Amino acid sequence: MNLIKNKRGDKIISVYWFAILIIVAGGVFGMVYIFYGTPYDIREIEANVLGNQIADCVSYAGKINTALISNGRTSPKIGESFLKMCHLNFKSDEWQDEQYYLEVKIYSLGDLNNSILNITAGDNKWLSSCALQTNRQIEKLAKCIKKSFYSIDNSNNQYIIKILTVVRKAEKNVKI
Amino acid sequence: MKQKRGTILLENVIFIILNLVFLTILILFLFRQGSGAIVLEQSYAKNIALLIDSAKPIMEMKLNMEDVMDLAEKNGVNRDEIVKINANVVTVKLTQKGGYKYSFFNDVDVTAYPDVFPEKNYIIKVNGYK
Repeated sequence: MNLIKNKRGDKIISVYWFAILIIVAGGVFGMVYIFYGTPYDIREIEANVLGNQIADCVSYAGKINTALISNGRTSPKIGESFLKMCHLNFKSDEWQDEQYYLEVKIYSLGDLNNSILNITAGDNKWLSSCALQTNRQIEKLAKCIKKSFYSIDNSNNQYIIKILTVVRKAEKNVKI
Repeated sequence: MKQKRGTILLENVIFIILNLVFLTILILFLFRQGSGAIVLEQSYAKNIALLIDSAKPIMEMKLNMEDVMDLAEKNGVNRDEIVKINANVVTVKLTQKGGYKYSFFNDVDVTAYPDVFPEKNYIIKVNGYK
């Protein structure tokens, strides 16, 4: 009698054991699927690299680009040709709309409230994402990176340069 | 009594074997997922796009793509066709039907080709600004 009871107990344990294994396997499969199914989000790095490229173009080795400011005078027509001047191309066969936006504001060190030169390029509709993410990051919105640094022109006038870069590309970087 | 002991032993052996089979399948699944073509295509395409974005003219970058080369070979994809750069879009292809595209913003003329030696490297050459 004892032997029969023990055997029944063993069988019940083995059934439960397999049930536990199936639950664990289901959990592992689910987690792996979610982990590898989520794309790598590189937009923050991309926005940083874009910011660095713009910074190199606006000011190289601490001296501001003479095409932007020369002897304290700003160039008025730079807005349209800025992308070409900095060797940037925001158009791509991969996307219908441009997926980038950039903003460069140059301030004289004496007046940090009013910019003396304001350059924008790309699609400005992504700019609204930056305002929405001031308190917390929302994955599906575009990523915004801000940079600022100090530079001088060829007459040693001092400036503060503020750069904002925005990268969207949500479909390729976030699971939607 | 002898027969009953034999049955218990056999049940235990089957139970252990099934457990081992189960765990093996689980581990194989994990390894396959981690080294799958879809994951690697995406990772290399994004890596190459970021490298190009950060590059300056006349730079030559050597990328160790050993794991990808073997996988592409197994899937019947030619070494020259793994990385393609058209206009400002990088395409990494590791299966006949697959392929992952990612665009870059640096307006440069880039060429990508497999290295002669060591054979597992891929060369990304930035020729100049467009």
